[in-house]
Amino acid sequence: MFNVLLAGVGGQGTVLAAKVLAQAAQSKGWKVRTAETIGMAQRGGTVLSHVRMGNQGEEVYSPLISAGEAQLIIAFEPAEAARAFSYAAPGATVITAKSSVQPVTAALSGGSYSAETVLAELKTAVEEMQGTLLVVEDESLCAQMKTRKVLNTLLLAYATANSALPLSLEELKEALAACVKPAFVDMNIAAVDLVAE
Amino acid sequence: MSAKKLLMGNEAFAHAALEAGVRVVAGYPGTPSSELIETIAKLHAEGKAHGVHVEWSTNEKAALELLAGASYAGARCLFTCKQVGLNVASDALMSLNYVGIKGGLVLFVADDPGPISSQTEQDTRRFAAFAKVPVLDPSTPEEGFAMTKAAFELSERFHTPVIVRPTTRINHASTFFEVSDETSARKIPEEGFERNPKWVIFPKRAFEAHGEINDRLQQMATLFSEEEPYVGFNAIKTRVNTYAVLHTEVDSENKTGARSDTGTGASGIQPALGIVAGGISAAYAHEALRLIQKRLQKNATVKPSESNLATSTNNASQLPPYKFLQIGTPYPFPEKLVASFVEGLTDVLVLEELDYILEDELFKLCGKRGISLRIHGKLDGSVKDRGENTVDSILTSLAKFIGLDEALVAPSVAGSSALDASHLPVRPPVLCPGCPHRGSFYAVKKALGKTPAVLCGDIGCYTLGNAMPLDAVDTCLCMGAGITMAQGFSVAEPQKKTVAFVGDSTFFASGLPGVVNAVYNGHNITLCVLDNATTAMTGSQPHPGTGQTLMGPQNKPVSIEAVLKACGVECVVHANPLNFAEAKQAAQTALDYQGVSAILFESPCIQLKKPDAPVRVDSAKCTGCKRCITEIGCPALVFNPSAGKRGQAGVDPSLCNGCGLCTQLCTFDALVVNKGGEGASHV
Repeated sequence: MFNVLLAGVGGQGTVLAAKVLAQAAQSKGWKVRTAETIGMAQRGGTVLSHVRMGNQGEEVYSPLISAGEAQLIIAFEPAEAARAFSYAAPGATVITAKSSVQPVTAALSGGSYSAETVLAELKTAVEEMQGTLLVVEDESLCAQMKTRKVLNTLLLAYATANSALPLSLEELKEALAACVKPAFVDMNIAAVDLVAE
Repeated sequence: MSAKKLLMGNEAFAHAALEAGVRVVAGYPGTPSSELIETIAKLHAEGKAHGVHVEWSTNEKAALELLAGASYAGARCLFTCKQVGLNVASDALMSLNYVGIKGGLVLFVADDPGPISSQTEQDTRRFAAFAKVPVLDPSTPEEGFAMTKAAFELSERFHTPVIVRPTTRINHASTFFEVSDETSARKIPEEGFERNPKWVIFPKRAFEAHGEINDRLQQMATLFSEEEPYVGFNAIKTRVNTYAVLHTEVDSENKTGARSDTGTGASGIQPALGIVAGGISAAYAHEALRLIQKRLQKNATVKPSESNLATSTNNASQLPPYKFLQIGTPYPFPEKLVASFVEGLTDVLVLEELDYILEDELFKLCGKRGISLRIHGKLDGSVKDRGENTVDSILTSLAKFIGLDEALVAPSVAGSSALDASHLPVRPPVLCPGCPHRGSFYAVKKALGKTPAVLCGDIGCYTLGNAMPLDAVDTCLCMGAGITMAQGFSVAEPQKKTVAFVGDSTFFASGLPGVVNAVYNGHNITLCVLDNATTAMTGSQPHPGTGQTLMGPQNKPVSIEAVLKACGVECVVHANPLNFAEAKQAAQTALDYQGVSAILFESPCIQLKKPDAPVRVDSAKCTGCKRCITEIGCPALVFNPSAGKRGQAGVDPSLCNGCGLCTQLCTFDALVVNKGGEGASHV
């Protein structure tokens, strides 16, 4: 079983990323289930997308990942990476975008949360369970792509390029081509290539 | 057939209904049910679903009554709503079951354990038993697909409405399905609607019908114990002596539902423990059992626990034998099948979400048949009494039930001690940046000033108006209640102003009778219709005020203003909520009026609008007073403590869509609408 948890804030594109991973797993002939956060929580709240792949040919029962069973966490935001950490299996890889999304409550209370502090704590925690923390310079990558809309693809490509997913970059590209709107295929493939370089 | 497609549960159920020949589909949006009708509308628009009529009805009651008519004529019909929607349709459902149906009529009612997006944790299985209507309860999207098809057959065979009740985690879980590329609705039988006294419910007929209902429920209970495909929804799995073969998942699987073959392993220990599960809890239980096995193997070297049942074999590193029954047909309860399942068992653990339906049925069964069995579940605290179950919560319940040392099967979350999640920023849901509701609430609050007032809210995105700093929603009860509750406040506390906020879709769904009541009984209320031209919370569905239909044609929108005036509301004012001065003036006029007054705040939902360029902060002018942030709480406004002398406001260009409300509040004109500017992040 290979469990990937995608963690972000409503509107960041976790749902599409989950679809792409499901498509890739299906192409490999694996059973796959995904689950999404839909509804009121989407309005600026924390969102989780679960992807469960039966990569040893086994049945997948639950669409949701259990505590301590995710081999890979892909976070779109540092605080969400930390929040999702209890899902991480020992030795898991945690990939997170570096730039933070401040909640409206932070502006009201006058204090933003410090992404640096959270990332430092996360680093200690990941090291303690013999895992790997990869922090993605999302701002510069998105700037090169001239849009933040490819953040999800950039993160998936980063995970794949670092062998944190049981997929090749080619398999990722094929799944992207099958999942995103035709007009955006080239842009997403370019995002993968940017990371792969 | 085409290649397998990744479909969300709700999308798959739409395909299942179309493949079953559904002809008329109606419902009212509500999370987690809405995507079903949207999928049917999409397939219809693409020309793939031939002959189907699909619509968002004004409310659930309207939808079900419309379908009753279509069903009497012989059409296969599908109704959709969320659990609380069935409350609205219940008047129709209760009688409809007595009258009966002709074309198969399936009610797709989505329950929401948690609750995640609802005001109650009511259980539609309980509702089904109350209404004496059969209910099917899937544990996976695949089962829901099969059940949707089976439900049409069952409905027509017994002339009964049938409920299919998935829960959020099934509605919104995705997996791959093979579905037909094109479907055709089953034709209306030639005779169509046939006049018959049975279609008119009278007390005498109701008494007869009640007997017919009781008879058919008994027949269906037998069917659910014996006949495919129904009995397949009640799968029994038996795990006998697994001590010899550690890696065996499940030793025998009996899908025919006949008395399960408990087989004999090498040493033939018969199970004394039974697990009964319904809905997604069944899937969670399979997963939890697999995890328990995995973790026991991993911890096999650890000293065995001193727990009761497992130690009887002197080996706590393996699961004892057990029998597993998933019940997909909770009502009418498949008594025969369950009676044979519990034979030889001493203890049963019941796993289900929301109410304790299966547990109750087991108690009844044991009482009726004099079976001696200990039943564990919600009632004795073995399973949590509310909220969602999870694989982890079920694993804990199972470990206790089996008598395993919890420490042996607990997740190994290494390093979690190093990470304290309690100080992470919380992200409560908020109104979107640029949401026009923000301006409406703000204008009314400002117009009220210090006047004592009660602000009644309602169901929709605008319930979020209760969050700080707007703090503009004092009550929220159920669809349309704000309008009528305001009248109650005005009677009880006439010295206060009473204001009711209602969305456009909610206004049509169930606000209208309240408006008529206010005019008729002469109540002193101000009604604020937050007209954003869509049903936003559930994902932007059209409604009567838009005139857009799912079948394609654009009909004449039903005018809220004309409706209010026709009802006798004499003071009706309009305002653009993003124009603060205009909105406040309108609010003032309406609030000063004695009697029923209404403000129509009109501005489209930000999700439907092309964003304008983000607002700009003039750093030469911003004094860092934070007024913009503390007054309206827009997520796009941030405070940058290192800017200027004492910090300055900042605008997150990836969130701001240039609505401009904040620019009207700044005392120093430091926020500037970027007319004609380019929104870098809006591609």
